[in-house]
Amino acid sequence: MRAHEQALVHALHAARLTGRGGAGFPTSIKVAALFDNEADLIVNACDGERGAAKDAWVIEYHLREVAEVVELLCAGGSRTVWWAAHRGSSTAGRLAEVGLPLLEVPHRYVSSEGSALVNLARTGVAKPLELRQPTADGGRDSRGRRIEPTVVFNAETLWRIAQIMQYGPAWFAAQGTDEEPGPRLVSLSGYLSHPTVCQTQTGVPLSELFATAGGLPSDAQMILIGGLGGGFVPAIHVPGLAWGRQWLAPLGAGVGSGVVEVLDPRLCPLVFMGQLIDYAAGESAGQCGPCMFGLPALADQWYRLVVQRNSPEEFEHLWHGVQQRLDLLRGRGACHYPDGVSGWVRSGLSVFAEHIHAHNQGFCPTGGHQPARR
Amino acid sequence: MTSLHGPISNETLWYTSRATGVVSMVLLTLIMILGMVITSMRRPYSSAPTVVMALHRWLSLGTLGFLALHVGTAIAETYVKIDLIAAVVPMASEFQPKLVGLGAVALDLLLALIISSLLRHRLPERGWKLIHFTSYLMWPAALLHGFQLGTSDEPLLRAVTVACAVLGVMVLGWRLFATTHDRRRREDVDAGQWR
Repeated sequence: MRAHEQALVHALHAARLTGRGGAGFPTSIKVAALFDNEADLIVNACDGERGAAKDAWVIEYHLREVAEVVELLCAGGSRTVWWAAHRGSSTAGRLAEVGLPLLEVPHRYVSSEGSALVNLARTGVAKPLELRQPTADGGRDSRGRRIEPTVVFNAETLWRIAQIMQYGPAWFAAQGTDEEPGPRLVSLSGYLSHPTVCQTQTGVPLSELFATAGGLPSDAQMILIGGLGGGFVPAIHVPGLAWGRQWLAPLGAGVGSGVVEVLDPRLCPLVFMGQLIDYAAGESAGQCGPCMFGLPALADQWYRLVVQRNSPEEFEHLWHGVQQRLDLLRGRGACHYPDGVSGWVRSGLSVFAEHIHAHNQGFCPTGGHQPARR
Repeated sequence: MTSLHGPISNETLWYTSRATGVVSMVLLTLIMILGMVITSMRRPYSSAPTVVMALHRWLSLGTLGFLALHVGTAIAETYVKIDLIAAVVPMASEFQPKLVGLGAVALDLLLALIISSLLRHRLPERGWKLIHFTSYLMWPAALLHGFQLGTSDEPLLRAVTVACAVLGVMVLGWRLFATTHDRRRREDVDAGQWR
């Protein structure tokens, strides 16, 4: 590692910047691995999580800074760079417009996961890799093909690196909570008058976040934080909550990739969940058993629990069955996709328990349509 | 030549060579079938794959004994002239160069399969797999060699060869077209857009 590279790694370590794609891995370690292994680089601007819009925002307003950091990380162009965005998205259009090397990602949930992007760039298939070491170290894929060292950075993370270089690590670390320092972007979507991407930090009350999107509507009842890998938070809890792990973790949610979606209170939440569970089951890359079989099985059990009217004993049995399935999925899958989905469904079962019971009695508290099977 | 072998008559050598050749052919067929069963199985399913795998491996090593006898006696007997070089180099035999050559090809491939499998932990998985695919050349070569050369004048022996071929091709068909829950789901998923 050369002196200026060493200095950058130290600055990132002092700033305690973590990846903004959702996993929250220390960026200094990744950058050091990039330099050590002379790895190639992928900029993840996919906004892969449900409701995410911040990567598009970064590319639209801060592409110059991101490109400068990429230039620096890649030693002035001696290493390969890919800019990853979903095929046909506005982000892809913008990247192509300025002539950056675009990696067109298919519209699949798991395809924007880091190792899936590496796989796409290296072998042309956008499925998560099962490597026994970080992609930054390279290795062989499950078919024995050699994968060259590749590091994936979220677009916002690279923009944060530019800011740390400009304003210094102290400026960065002074923002947010001590546990999760630094400025952050949060995508606000769903039942809001002005869905937006807001610039904020941990420790800021949720109500302030919603204020940037025209305020949380008074009739809003439920909020999904963290998309398919997150959890539901009832709107009544919002006044006591702030953005950050310490507030959200007890409710089964987290900061993740910074997505907040307000559910439309006029729609039956079980219809919403059913559609998403079906979607989740269809997004498996068909590589790990818990994902390719577990998620469709979970969808089946969910519909049996929610759609048909069951006797109390049957209901108890089905409810227990879903819980057992969720326990089986916890922590599973090479890319942790079934793990994330199981946490999300568990959260839904918990916050919508009364609603599910009401459906079993034959009525819907929302007064909306009954959830129909596919 | 005969004096070198003392009491063992040339006739004994000739029959030993043919008998061990037929036994090797049957064993190779069995090993092929076990191999195809292993690759078609969903694993880990029960203890069955472990047993099948062990049989596949130990039978392969055991077959080497019969083959050594088959080749050794074929070289030693003097009805037809086959030397050590002809046993491993295709087309090097004066007697039936093509048919003896098929046997040599099968022998070479089998040796490559066994040596690469013994060194499997040191080889890239893809390399081992590529070498292992040559078993689909090795087995037909061995069968054709046996059918045309060793068992051509004996209806009973010829029936054994034909039975081996029919059985092997049937299992190969099953291997290619049989489907499992696992395979169907993977194919469904792969039908989506991943590129």
